[in-house]
Amino acid sequence: MYRFKITKRQETSIWHSCLIFFGALAISLSFGSIILALQGKPPIGGLTYLFKGAFGDLWALEDCLIKGLPIFLCSIGVAIAFRLQVWNIGAEGQFAMGSIGATWLALVFPDQPQYLLLPGMMGASMLAGALWGLIPALLKIRMRTNEIIVTLMMNYLAIYILDYLVYGPWKDPTSFGFPMTAQFSPGAILPMIGNTRLSLGLWLCIFFGIAYWVFFRFTRLGFELKASGENMKAAKYARIPYNTLVILVMVMGGALAGTAGFVESSANLNRLQPSIMAGYGYTAIVVAWIARLNPLFIALASFLLAGLRVGVEHLQLDLQVPAAFGDIMEGLILLTVLASAFFEKYRIGLRKPA
Amino acid sequence: MKKIVMLFAIAAVIGFSTFSWAGKDLKVGFVYVSPIGDAGWSYAHNQGRLAVEGMDGVTTSFAESVSEGPDSERVIMNMARRGYDIIFATSFGYMDPMLKVAGKFPKTVFMHCSGYKQAKNMGNYFGRMYQARYLSGMVAGAMSKTNKIGYVAAFPIPEVIRGINAFTLGAQAVNPKVEVRVVWTKTWYDPATEKEAAKSLLDVGADVIAQHQDSPGPQEAAQERGVYSVGYNSDMSGFAPKAHLTAPIWNWGPYYVDVVKQVRQGTWKSEAAWPGLADGIVNLAPFGPMVPKKLQERVLAKKAEIAQGKAKVFEGPIKDQQGKERIAAGNVATDKELLGMTWFVDGVIGTTQ
Amino acid sequence: MTVGIFITLLAAAVQSGTPILYATLGEILTEKVGVLNLGVEGMMMVGALTGFLVSKFTGNPVLGFIAGGFSGAMLAWIHGLVCMGLQGNQIVSGLALTILGTGLANYIGTPFAGQTAPGFNPLSIPLLKGIPFFGPVLFQHDLLVYISFLIPPLMWLFFRYTRPGLELRSVGEYPEAAFSAGIRALRFRWAGVLMGGFLAGLGGAYLSLAYTHLWSSGLSAGRGWIAVALVIFAFWKPERAFLGAYFFGGVMAFQLRLQAIGTNIPSSLLLMLPYALTVAVLVFASARARGSDVPAALGVNMEPRD
Repeated sequence: MYRFKITKRQETSIWHSCLIFFGALAISLSFGSIILALQGKPPIGGLTYLFKGAFGDLWALEDCLIKGLPIFLCSIGVAIAFRLQVWNIGAEGQFAMGSIGATWLALVFPDQPQYLLLPGMMGASMLAGALWGLIPALLKIRMRTNEIIVTLMMNYLAIYILDYLVYGPWKDPTSFGFPMTAQFSPGAILPMIGNTRLSLGLWLCIFFGIAYWVFFRFTRLGFELKASGENMKAAKYARIPYNTLVILVMVMGGALAGTAGFVESSANLNRLQPSIMAGYGYTAIVVAWIARLNPLFIALASFLLAGLRVGVEHLQLDLQVPAAFGDIMEGLILLTVLASAFFEKYRIGLRKPA
Repeated sequence: MKKIVMLFAIAAVIGFSTFSWAGKDLKVGFVYVSPIGDAGWSYAHNQGRLAVEGMDGVTTSFAESVSEGPDSERVIMNMARRGYDIIFATSFGYMDPMLKVAGKFPKTVFMHCSGYKQAKNMGNYFGRMYQARYLSGMVAGAMSKTNKIGYVAAFPIPEVIRGINAFTLGAQAVNPKVEVRVVWTKTWYDPATEKEAAKSLLDVGADVIAQHQDSPGPQEAAQERGVYSVGYNSDMSGFAPKAHLTAPIWNWGPYYVDVVKQVRQGTWKSEAAWPGLADGIVNLAPFGPMVPKKLQERVLAKKAEIAQGKAKVFEGPIKDQQGKERIAAGNVATDKELLGMTWFVDGVIGTTQ
Repeated sequence: MTVGIFITLLAAAVQSGTPILYATLGEILTEKVGVLNLGVEGMMMVGALTGFLVSKFTGNPVLGFIAGGFSGAMLAWIHGLVCMGLQGNQIVSGLALTILGTGLANYIGTPFAGQTAPGFNPLSIPLLKGIPFFGPVLFQHDLLVYISFLIPPLMWLFFRYTRPGLELRSVGEYPEAAFSAGIRALRFRWAGVLMGGFLAGLGGAYLSLAYTHLWSSGLSAGRGWIAVALVIFAFWKPERAFLGAYFFGGVMAFQLRLQAIGTNIPSSLLLMLPYALTVAVLVFASARARGSDVPAALGVNMEPRD
């Protein structure tokens, strides 16, 4: 009997990583096509429709970008915390609070000029998101509570607060009783870039993406953060106490997810309504992880996952495949990519029986 | 020889018929807010889509589970870009996104269900479900012995409130002492929660259960306790044969087929269509065996009157819960008032918050 | 009248708490061996669909219930493969499992929406049902509720008094030390994860076979996430899982009954209560720094050895 022998690889090349990544992708796609075939749909044709729908036209690419923006912002938010090995899974709630903060300002000062209102809304959303991140951080360092659970619970609290507001005090009297706030005034809506349907949120994303890279690459704080996350011993010798770092990453993450809430409510919905909660915060966690916390890869992964969603809509139109197919593909891709990382770190050989 | 002639004849007929609808197939798209597997609202619309699919020279498709907001705008826009000739969007929150897209695609026909905004190429439509609700209320009111009816309601929006009011008026028409208790679940299809809500109503003494959600959960609860129930959306008697009295049901097929025909003939115009019992878009499911013949006849007589326009559901005087007169004697509620109804009629116990 | 409502409220709390109880117990078992599986919602959905389909096509709900459990375990196996076999991050894998499981169930279940299958019906226990108060609250339910009564005491006995139970706990606390002591840690981890998935699957099957007798998309409606939260509420103690599950079920039943009686409190605020309380309980427990049995190695993978 041969047995598997697992040894740690000394070094990994970029090409090897790429090969493994695309191998994982291929495996998940073939699983997806098997599922299509079992339902009597053309497997290869189906995947072609999916890709063409998502990336086959200029406007399709635009659609993917629009949907990718909030995922990207939430994702670099949680990535900061993951660098410190703090498990912030509260981006969903911070996103909700951000949209509430922005909406609050938009509803209270509808007549302010755009150059005051928009920055104000963004500030309010960042503040609200940061606050929602601060609470679990404080509980973690003061009470040593598990941040995974607290952030998860606070997602629900935030969503119910949003629910309460749009069903109650903020309900638009002219909405015929439907749960939504009044439409924002023109001053509260993020302008679009040129003739596209892309809002200025895109520049925000690029700005925050670069800032994230610079922060971890060139600043001492970023370096210490990374070092502390990789090694608790390093944290002890760091200039900045670990507790401060925890607060810092949670506040920054919250502010970024909050910004996503601002962009989504201001540019895309032009109001607040319950359907703003589309699970971006959860998708963001998986995106951050499969992108190895690298901002460029996060951008790419956000774009691709957004593309998957858009592509599935086209697949529905072409082949009448249930919408849940998108969930299946997303789950498969995440699991295979996650599992594939193992083959980067370890070499698997066969060992002869002793 | 005969066979060959036959083949030629068939070929000629086929050839001729394809020629006669030269040009191209009409492409019709539907946008649903929930999966068609929800067994309710989207399911009913999808049944309508299948009726359209059966027409000659028409192809249809749909996108399900499309959330309101940016997602719906993209889906509607993509349908328009891909050359769909008619697009039906079947949720209130699709209204503004659809209006935006309609401005960019003037040649496409847009149809929005349950809203109020219109454009030159965008019409809206809904069904007068409240008429069928009124009839089902009559049945429930007559069958209740405790004079308490439980109503498991979905979200506090006008469509649901209007339904509860019509139901209550119907029940009061046959049983003035009756009261309708309302419990909101804030769900469209969560069978477990909806069943629990029905049980909570049964616990306070209700002996007939009506519902607005898409799941048969409340029907099951009624059957288990040995009381009666009124379904919704489609005939739910299969889920609770001993409890199911009747159900106000949707039948979108004829309407959708009609709209597609109008577009093909070039007679379609943007309008706010609100067909009802008379057009068969809403109806009453067959009565259960426990409904007495006399009651059945009475309800059917009322149905004919409403369909002919002789009787109106919201005809004054109608008071709200606080006893304030909302519709004066001799007046009939306008469509606009009905669309924005956010108050309960007298006799409903519950709030519209 | 009021006492009657109180009794029915508690009975409803027991019934709506039962699916959550199964899933919570499963997650406790999983976390006890040091593995965090956030995929409970996905496992419940798959369990609900499998249970429904098997019961529908075989006509045997018992078979369906068990099959629901096995389908949950199959999904948990994927989690085990990714995390224990291949060193993947447990949080991310669990999230992916939820997405995959929900997707699979909704995809495969679409043609069966709104159909019914044979299931379990209330079955009063002859003598016990007559006990005033406790009878109607506890002993007028379906068979699966009674089964769920038995699991926590059994788990409690297992953890406390049996050798495998103690070994299993040590694996969750100090996997490396357990390994040195000659305990086959990975084997215990696998057992915990698979059993946990099995119980979550049973919880899902409860929804489609006993709570209702039908299938519809999104049947689980977030109950899996509640189970994840309740593990902390219960301090990883099976006997306290009762409390958490019934409390949560009770809040749901309570807010519906508040409305039925004719009061008006915005339901969104009431529905927040369990989540806020979970945070409060967690803070309280952490402040005392004892009393909770949180496994020290929770979420940490074991490096493979040569």
